Amino acid sequence: MDRVYDHLVTLLADKFEVDAERIGPDATLDDLDLDSLAVVELYVTLQEEWQIPLDDSAAVADLTVADVARSVSALLDEPASGREAVQ
Amino acid sequence: MSEEIAVTGVGLVTPAGVGAEQTWKAVCAGRPTAQADPALSGSPVTMSCRVPPMERGPGRLWRFDHGTRFLLTAAREALGAASLEPGDWDPARVAVVVGTAAGGIGTLETQHRKLLTTGHGVLSPMTLPAFLPNMTAGHLALELGATGPSLQTSTACASGATALIIACLLLQSGACDIAVAGGTDAMVTPLCAAAFAKMGALSLRSHDPGSASRPFDKDRDGFVLGEGGGMLVLERGRHAAARAARPLALLAGHGTTSDAHHPTAPHPEGAGLRAATLAALEQTGAGPDDVDHINAHGTSTPLNDSVEATAIRELYPRRPPSVTSAKGVLGHTMGAAGAIEAALTVLSIVNGTVPPTANFTAPDDSTAGIDIVTTAGRAQPVRLALSHSLGFGGHNTVLAFTAA
Repeated sequence: MDRVYDHLVTLLADKFEVDAERIGPDATLDDLDLDSLAVVELYVTLQEEWQIPLDDSAAVADLTVADVARSVSALLDEPASGREAVQ
Repeated sequence: MSEEIAVTGVGLVTPAGVGAEQTWKAVCAGRPTAQADPALSGSPVTMSCRVPPMERGPGRLWRFDHGTRFLLTAAREALGAASLEPGDWDPARVAVVVGTAAGGIGTLETQHRKLLTTGHGVLSPMTLPAFLPNMTAGHLALELGATGPSLQTSTACASGATALIIACLLLQSGACDIAVAGGTDAMVTPLCAAAFAKMGALSLRSHDPGSASRPFDKDRDGFVLGEGGGMLVLERGRHAAARAARPLALLAGHGTTSDAHHPTAPHPEGAGLRAATLAALEQTGAGPDDVDHINAHGTSTPLNDSVEATAIRELYPRRPPSVTSAKGVLGHTMGAAGAIEAALTVLSIVNGTVPPTANFTAPDDSTAGIDIVTTAGRAQPVRLALSHSLGFGGHNTVLAFTAA
């Protein structure tokens, strides 16, 4: 989970240019100014980077960063020490 | 023309550099930018003229195709040069006109590959907003907060010049007070390279990229695929004067015609180019003897350069203007070329300098008898200069710029 969360924070900061100080587990994607296209792009990016079938039809802006990280972790084989994201 | 149109700023992102000054210096130095391109390995032609790595620039990069990044950076530079700050203007009076042949085709290719290999699940939601050619103009209007008319022009390799003509007409009609106009394209992609090669349009000198783009030269064998963006700020002369902006040059006239001859080959006598030239000169209130300089389309393809040189030779029998093609240095930047070369033409007027045609050593029979500037470039007064742009589809545009 920590690894997934940390990766998510990096992705939000780098690709989506969210100020890292604003990112916390309880922040919603909406809080971070991700619009509907950005939320889907985030899910697609996570699918590709972790090579998991993350369903973007469930992607909505009121999910928190922790919610998203949990969805990714649940799809990984070993949630605590899973594979590295494919860059 | 009915009312004087001033060019108050230019911005360039080209294979020769990010910025108008960097590009101007490199074009004047006559150093070709064509290089081996590893991203085209496996293609029939494996060289290109790429824009060097850019600073990250304005936000939301994940939303944009490369071509849109070129455009946004060039527009920012042009507005800075014109001393215009978005926000200090009435946004409803600002128009955005962008020429592009293929919009975000690189994005489309990448996403289509994903669809075919991985499946639709990983398709980016930005596939269409980043690809659709009109979105170049849409993204720029959004970035500038410009709420006047915004649109895209598509006349293949004349697209950027057509954008300037449409911007000019919008200004003269009173539809806007400021037009941010030009062109962008990012067509250095595996599909575009292979498709142009299949047409026989590209130079096959991949073994020696620096010598490949050689406009008007007897040994020319095709163009080198390039990319870039060029933007100009246009205003009515009185509008520029009212805010004490100093014009770089005036867009004094323009001509636009269609060959109606063949899908991709130019008219054998360049009839459309000649008609566009005469129209541009008439609007300018000038004749052939008044033209000091021509920034030619000069693609380095056998046919284009023959037809263009023949038209130039016959249009200016008494006082031949100096002729150059920037494509020897920059390659063919597609829909951006018309705008990039318009900006270079303006800079020739400002600096009293005509850059050389890189790699031109000697003409063949069809390109002989015109005054092609070579090697070190030439210092000369440039009071009236034309910029030619021709595109697949038989589109011909001629822009006439005069000293301010």
